[in-house]
Amino acid sequence: MHTVLGNMFISLNFSTAIQVSLLGFIGGVLSGFIGSGGAFFMTPGMMNLGVTGVVAVGSNITHKFGKAMVGSKQHGKLGNVDRRLGICLILASFVGIQIAVWINSRLFKGGGDGHGAGGSAAADLYISMVFICILSFVAVSMLRDALKSRGPDGDQGPSMKISNFLARLYLPPYISFPVSDIRISLWVLSAVGLATGYLAGTIGVGGFIGVPSMIYVFGVPTAVATGTELYLAMFMGAFGALNYAFQGFVDIRLTVLLYTGSLLGIFVGVYGTKVVKEVLIRIVTGAVILLCVLSRGIAVPMYLHKIGWVTMDPKWDVYFNTASKFLLFAAGTSGMLIILFHVIRAYRQRRRIERSLRDIEKMEPSAPVSLNVSEAN
Amino acid sequence: MQIVCISGGGSNRTKALADRTAHKLGYQSLNREQLVEEAVKEGIQVSKLETATIKPQIFSERLALEREYYRAFMTLFLGKQATEKGTVYDGRSGHLLFSGIDHVLKVRVVEDETSRVKEVMQQLNIDGKKARRYLNDVDADRNKWTRSMYSVSLEDAAHYDVMLNLGHMSVENAAAALSAIAQLPDFQVTPASQRSIEDLMLGANARVLLARDERTFRANVKVRADRGILTVTYLPQDAEIAEIIPEVIASLAGVREISVTMATTNILWIGEAFEANSETFHQVVEIATKWNAAIELLQFVPQEADGQEETLSADEVTSLSQRPDFVRECIGGIEEEGEVVCDDGGYQETQEALARLGCAGGGRRIVGGAAQIVKSIDRTVTYSLIVIGNMFLAKGHSAQMRMTRQLQGHLRDQLKDPVVNAEDLKSQYLFGRQDLLILLGCLGLFSLVLFLIFIFQEPVLKFLSGVEVKAKVLAAVTVFIFVPGIAFLYGNVARSVMKLIRME
Repeated sequence: MHTVLGNMFISLNFSTAIQVSLLGFIGGVLSGFIGSGGAFFMTPGMMNLGVTGVVAVGSNITHKFGKAMVGSKQHGKLGNVDRRLGICLILASFVGIQIAVWINSRLFKGGGDGHGAGGSAAADLYISMVFICILSFVAVSMLRDALKSRGPDGDQGPSMKISNFLARLYLPPYISFPVSDIRISLWVLSAVGLATGYLAGTIGVGGFIGVPSMIYVFGVPTAVATGTELYLAMFMGAFGALNYAFQGFVDIRLTVLLYTGSLLGIFVGVYGTKVVKEVLIRIVTGAVILLCVLSRGIAVPMYLHKIGWVTMDPKWDVYFNTASKFLLFAAGTSGMLIILFHVIRAYRQRRRIERSLRDIEKMEPSAPVSLNVSEAN
Repeated sequence: MQIVCISGGGSNRTKALADRTAHKLGYQSLNREQLVEEAVKEGIQVSKLETATIKPQIFSERLALEREYYRAFMTLFLGKQATEKGTVYDGRSGHLLFSGIDHVLKVRVVEDETSRVKEVMQQLNIDGKKARRYLNDVDADRNKWTRSMYSVSLEDAAHYDVMLNLGHMSVENAAAALSAIAQLPDFQVTPASQRSIEDLMLGANARVLLARDERTFRANVKVRADRGILTVTYLPQDAEIAEIIPEVIASLAGVREISVTMATTNILWIGEAFEANSETFHQVVEIATKWNAAIELLQFVPQEADGQEETLSADEVTSLSQRPDFVRECIGGIEEEGEVVCDDGGYQETQEALARLGCAGGGRRIVGGAAQIVKSIDRTVTYSLIVIGNMFLAKGHSAQMRMTRQLQGHLRDQLKDPVVNAEDLKSQYLFGRQDLLILLGCLGLFSLVLFLIFIFQEPVLKFLSGVEVKAKVLAAVTVFIFVPGIAFLYGNVARSVMKLIRME
């Protein structure tokens, strides 16, 4: 991959631009369907296209900033935003982001490999490892929940271990949040905010921690958790974007190209949630995330080799990168195709119904077949 | 028969008040424990529901269905009990089961904290501090339960007819006051209130039957009854059970018609008069088709005096008896046929037109003032949109506009759902000329920005990766200002495109 300005930014031709836009679309569809930011797909996807890890994260967090602003405005209109909770979490998350940016930039500037994909292999390895650890946990939990709900006992709901454990602890001071109708210990709130900020700053996927934490740990209603997370993401995205842009790690071309796909994809994904059963949503989500994790795992030996921890023929890098890229696109594309299949089927069904109803409208009112209740008995 | 629902803090004094009131009125006394016991016998997982609502949890799809089952069962059981004999019910949210039924007296009982703490100290043999914390937790759990089950606050005074403070009166006197209030004409059974409770029970009965049947128990269905017409809505993903639904509920006594509509959500259309060929009609139908929504009609008959529910006229009764009963079903949203009211401001014609178009969601008529509208709207149902159509027709144009706007504001304040005036439907929810201009304008600007960025790639990237602090700050500020702008532009493009292909 050709680079510009040293090895900082990739050279962008029409084909690469289309691939980035496609990444945005797939990420957007998955994001609308799953309810997360879609960074779990877009960040490694850009890395597979040769973008350095830190620029991929910086460009994606900048993309997230604008997207969250648009989404948060919509949720705000529906009353799904607990601003007080959001602001409390923001304060802690800023510290988390700052820590993440500091670690990423130190690793980027301190490490170095000088060949291949460019950028710091140490930063890439670190981002990949955090990505693998966190998202493996999320995917496995999601698949376990989904498979359990298909069992004879049906859906038992999510585990209550964390909430029960926290309920037993008495950790004053507590803060009340009337919109969500909850009371939370300041310490728990700070820990969640810090973790969300750190993950958003490191791999750009704060929502994977923020939303479940708000639901499972705080007890916030799901719609409010999603709305508040977007509100939070807007500030975190702004803060992250400012920080990464200050460090010079934002490739605005990638951000704009991601928008061209993601903002359309989100609508398609959200439409998908209306026509697909909850259990299928969880299975598709869990499987796609797990495949993304595997894809990142395949790329790890490449980074280990670049920083000299593993001895390997440099020619193998190409194979690892290709396999990782293939798996990621296969995961995202198959997930997107499943969603699109359901969306198109529902859309076509709706159009068919509309056509038949127009035909019915043209007919005499007495024409429709009716069934007598007593006959049905 | 009459029902008196008492919602208190679960103390012995509240229980005693319920018993004494029942004794004075010659009614039976029921409490929540008895109803829960019956629900458990029915096979409803009440303990799981309790745990899920009071602990920091989310409702799984299965538990949400269990919640519907529980609500329907409680309504049916309590309603049946009251059919046989007047009933005083002591439970946290009985008043919400019978929301909108005039002859159900809804009472909130509060007590001073000191006496409650004392009672808990004696009962549990704990100190005052622990008793206070225990009471706070219990109250919080009861609130969470009510909010989760009925989407309203237990403390909201608007849901009660009477509030009693037992800290200021004895149980005996409170019972005497309640029995006197219960005998007021306002809380007596009228033909209209009797019909309302029968409809409520018919709907609950149908929901219970659907929950009991192994073919339909996993389906997310909503049931509404109006004058014996059952409207069942189901989600698109449950399309395979559409044909089974009428089989399951057709045996119910009192069912005149069954309509089965596929709908993801509901739109409420309020108006004094409806017109099946009007522009508003076509716009509401277009939105409903786009959203997979069922349209519920709420016909408002204004009355200057104190609001009162309409009663069936002789003509209506004749009309009812002569109607051929039938079930009609259509995947994609179909409902009932015909209606019972004769000269009705286009209500019947509109219902029929909606049924033909497959998006009817039932309907009802109310008589009174604006307050009656709010009262008649089921707070536990979420409407994606509330449309205010032709209202206050007897007034002049200016007064009509002003009063419609006032009603819109009033509904917005009282309900959480979006409320829109019929005149604003097109601009807000349908693709029009304004949307086309926005689409073209935003797309043009976005394309220009994209073009410039790619023409001047190197200078842009050089600018963004400056090394001096001043250059870095400038780059950060530029990104901070530029990105929301570009997201806004393209967000508008995406939204307009989706609106155009009717997929937003």
